[in-house]
Amino acid sequence: MWKNLAGLDEEAATKAAIDRFNASQTKWHVRAQSLPQGAYSQSVVSASLSGRMPCIMTVDNPQVARFAWAGHLQPLAGHVPEALLDSVSPAAIGRFENRVYSVGQFDAALAIFTKRTTLEGTGTRVPTMDRPWSLAEFDALLVRLKATGKYRYPLDLSNSDPKADWWTYGYSPMLQSFGGDLIKHPSMDTAEGVLNGSDGQRFGNWFQSLFSRGLVNRMEPDQSAFVKGRAALAYTGNWWTPTYRDYAKGDLLILPPPDFGHGVTIGGGSWQWAISKACPHPDGAGAFISFLMQPREVAAMSDAIGLVPATAEGAVLSKDYRPGGSNRIFFEMLERFARQRPATPAFTEISNAFYKGMRNIMDGKDVQDSLDDAVDEIDTALADNDSGPARSQQSGKP
Amino acid sequence: MSGAVARGGGTGRAAIWFGAPAFIGLAMFVLIPVLMSLALTFTNQRLVSPDPGEFVGTENYQRLLSVSYLVQSPERDAAGHIVTDSAGEPLYARARSITRTDPTFTGYRPMTEYRWGDKRVSILAKDPEFLRSLVNTFLFALLVVPLQCSAALLMALLVNAGLKGQTVFRGIFFSPVVMSMVIVSVVWAFLFDKDLGLFNTILSAVSFGAFQPVDWLGNAHTAMPALAIMSAWQGAGFQMLILLAGLQGISQELYDAAKIDGANAWQRFWNITVPGLRQTITFVLIVTTIAALGLFTQVDVMTQGGPQNATSTVMFQAIQRGVREENIAYGSTISIVYFGIITILILLQQAIQRRRARLNA
Repeated sequence: MWKNLAGLDEEAATKAAIDRFNASQTKWHVRAQSLPQGAYSQSVVSASLSGRMPCIMTVDNPQVARFAWAGHLQPLAGHVPEALLDSVSPAAIGRFENRVYSVGQFDAALAIFTKRTTLEGTGTRVPTMDRPWSLAEFDALLVRLKATGKYRYPLDLSNSDPKADWWTYGYSPMLQSFGGDLIKHPSMDTAEGVLNGSDGQRFGNWFQSLFSRGLVNRMEPDQSAFVKGRAALAYTGNWWTPTYRDYAKGDLLILPPPDFGHGVTIGGGSWQWAISKACPHPDGAGAFISFLMQPREVAAMSDAIGLVPATAEGAVLSKDYRPGGSNRIFFEMLERFARQRPATPAFTEISNAFYKGMRNIMDGKDVQDSLDDAVDEIDTALADNDSGPARSQQSGKP
Repeated sequence: MSGAVARGGGTGRAAIWFGAPAFIGLAMFVLIPVLMSLALTFTNQRLVSPDPGEFVGTENYQRLLSVSYLVQSPERDAAGHIVTDSAGEPLYARARSITRTDPTFTGYRPMTEYRWGDKRVSILAKDPEFLRSLVNTFLFALLVVPLQCSAALLMALLVNAGLKGQTVFRGIFFSPVVMSMVIVSVVWAFLFDKDLGLFNTILSAVSFGAFQPVDWLGNAHTAMPALAIMSAWQGAGFQMLILLAGLQGISQELYDAAKIDGANAWQRFWNITVPGLRQTITFVLIVTTIAALGLFTQVDVMTQGGPQNATSTVMFQAIQRGVREENIAYGSTISIVYFGIITILILLQQAIQRRRARLNA
C-alpha cells in the first residue's frame, strides 16, 4: 500500500488503522509505505511504467480522473460494497466516466472565519447556513471594516499561497457561485463561454476590485494576518480552526462563504483510497478500504487529524463533528455546498490556466483578456489530451 | 602528464582514461538528457499519460515562436467620422476578439501594440509569455551582471586593503553565498514587503514620511530590479573570492614602484589593478552571466513570475510548462530553443574575441 506523506498525526493514525485491520482478520496483511506528497504523482507514474505498483494507494480527488484515464486504477465496484459507498458524502467519492475509482475517509471544507465582536462593531448580521451573506452584504462589510481604519486589509483570502491547486480549490467555488465555471458541463470539452462568459467576468471584476480597493492584500507576508489582528476576516480551510480557536476562543465565528448569486459553493474532495489496476488481490484491497470506511475508523481518523469525516455515521462518533460538536458546521457545509473540481484528465492544465489568469487579474490585467487567455490555454490542453477528457462526466452534486 | 607524454603513443589512451570519469558523467547527465529532450520536442509527450507521445513535427516550435501582426483602422461611425474616446484617442475594435474569431489568427494573442498614423499595429504571438520571459531574462542579466561584478570588485578591494579585521569581513561578505537561495528569497520577500518590510520602513523614516511605500515585488516596474539587487547581494561573495585571488596575484612591487613615481590611488587602481585583473574580470563576467541566464529560484519563491509576467524567466517558463503543467514536450522545446539562442550568442562572442585578438596582433 502506498500513501502520500501528509503529516505525522496522519501517519500515526493510518498506521494504527492498518494494525487494527491486520489484527481483525487473518486472510490479508497490509504493509504501508509513505511517499513525499510533492513527488507523489511522479512516483506513481514511474512505478506504473516499471510495473511495481502497490495494491492500494491514496489519490488526491482531482487527480483521480487522470490516474483512471492513464490506467493506473481499477473501479471499486465488486470490491467495495455498493451500500457502503452510498453512505459516503458525494464529494468524498472519486468518479471517472460514471465509475467509482476512489473513496475518502475524510474531506476538507472552506469557510469564512471572523470574530463575533468584529461583526457587532459594524452592525452586520451573522449569516447562517440558510441565510448566507449576499455579495452586496459581504462587499459592504469589507468596505465598512476598511473604513474603520483598524485594518489595512480587512480580508485575508490566503492568496499568498503560490500553489495553483490552492487557487483553484479556493476561488473556483466563488466563480461557480457567481454562475461561471472552470469548464463546460457536462460535455467538458471547452471552457469558452463559462469561464470567460458574463458571470465569469463579473467574478473577475469583483476579484480584481478586492485588490484595487485595498480590501485584500496582494501578498500577505505571512499566514497569520487573522491571528495577529491585521485582518478582520479570513477565508481558508477547516485545518486552521485549532489555531484560530486558540486565538479568538469563544469569540470565533465559522461562517459559510457568501452566496454570490448561484448558491454557496465550497470545494470538496481530498485524498482518497483507490485500488491500482496492477493489484493481484483487489478483493483484499477492497476489504481493507471497507474496513477503513466503517464509522469508528472514519471517526478515529478524523479525531486524529482534525479533518471532516466523510460519512454521517462517522461524524456522529467523532469528537468535533458530531451533531452539536464544535466543528459540526464543516460537515454540514460539505453535505450541502460541496462541489468537486472537474473530473477530467486535463485538470492539472485547467488548474494552472485558472491560476495564471486569476493572478493576472489580481495584478490589474484586463479581466476579459486574462479570462480569454485562460480559456485558450484550457481549450488547447483539452485538444492536446484529445483521447480522454471530452468523454468524462462530472461527479458530485450539481 | 609528462610521464605519459614521454612514453609517446600512450598519450591518447591515458587521456581517455583520465577523462573517463568526467566524460561518463557528462554523457549521462548532460549529453543524453539533451538528446532525449531534443527528441521529445517533436512529440506531444506528457508526463502523466498512458499513451506514448506521438510525432507532431515542428508543432511545438511553431507554438513557441510564431509571431504575426494585425493592422487595424479606427472605428468609424455611420457618417464616416473616426470614433474617439473621452481623451480624444481613436477607438479600435478589440484585437483579442479578432484573434479569437478570425481563423487566420488561431492560437495568436496580442503581445504589444504600436500606433502608425491613425492605424494601430498589434504584434501577435502564439506564446507571448515565452517571448516576454526571454526579454526578461536578458534584462535581468543586463541589470545584475554589472551590479554584482562591481559590488564584488568593491568588496574584494576592501577586504584586500589591509584594514583591521578584514578576515572577518571576508567571511561576512561570503556568507550569503553558502545560504540556501530559497531561504534568502523568503527573507528578502519580507524585506521588500509593502507595508511591513524593512526597506519601506527605513526609507519612510529617513524621509520623515515623505516617501510613499513602494510595492517592490508587486509593481511591474520595480519587481525585476528588486530581484536583481537581491540576487547581486546573494551572489557577489563568490565573485569577490575569485577577484580577491586575482588581486593577490598582482605583484606588490608594481604598486611600490608606482608610489615612488608619485601615482595616486586612482591611478594605481586604473593602471595596475584593472589591467592585472583583466583575465579574472572576464572570467567573472562570464560566470555571472551564465548564472544570471539561469534565474529561477528567486522568481519561483518571491514573485511566481508576476506581476503580469514582469519577472517570468525562460527557466521559470520551462519548469512551469514542462513539469507543473506536465507538458514535458513543450517544456523541452523551451529548453532546446534557449540552448540554441545561448549557443549562437557564445559563438558570436568568440568570433568577436578572435577578431579582436587578430587585430591586436
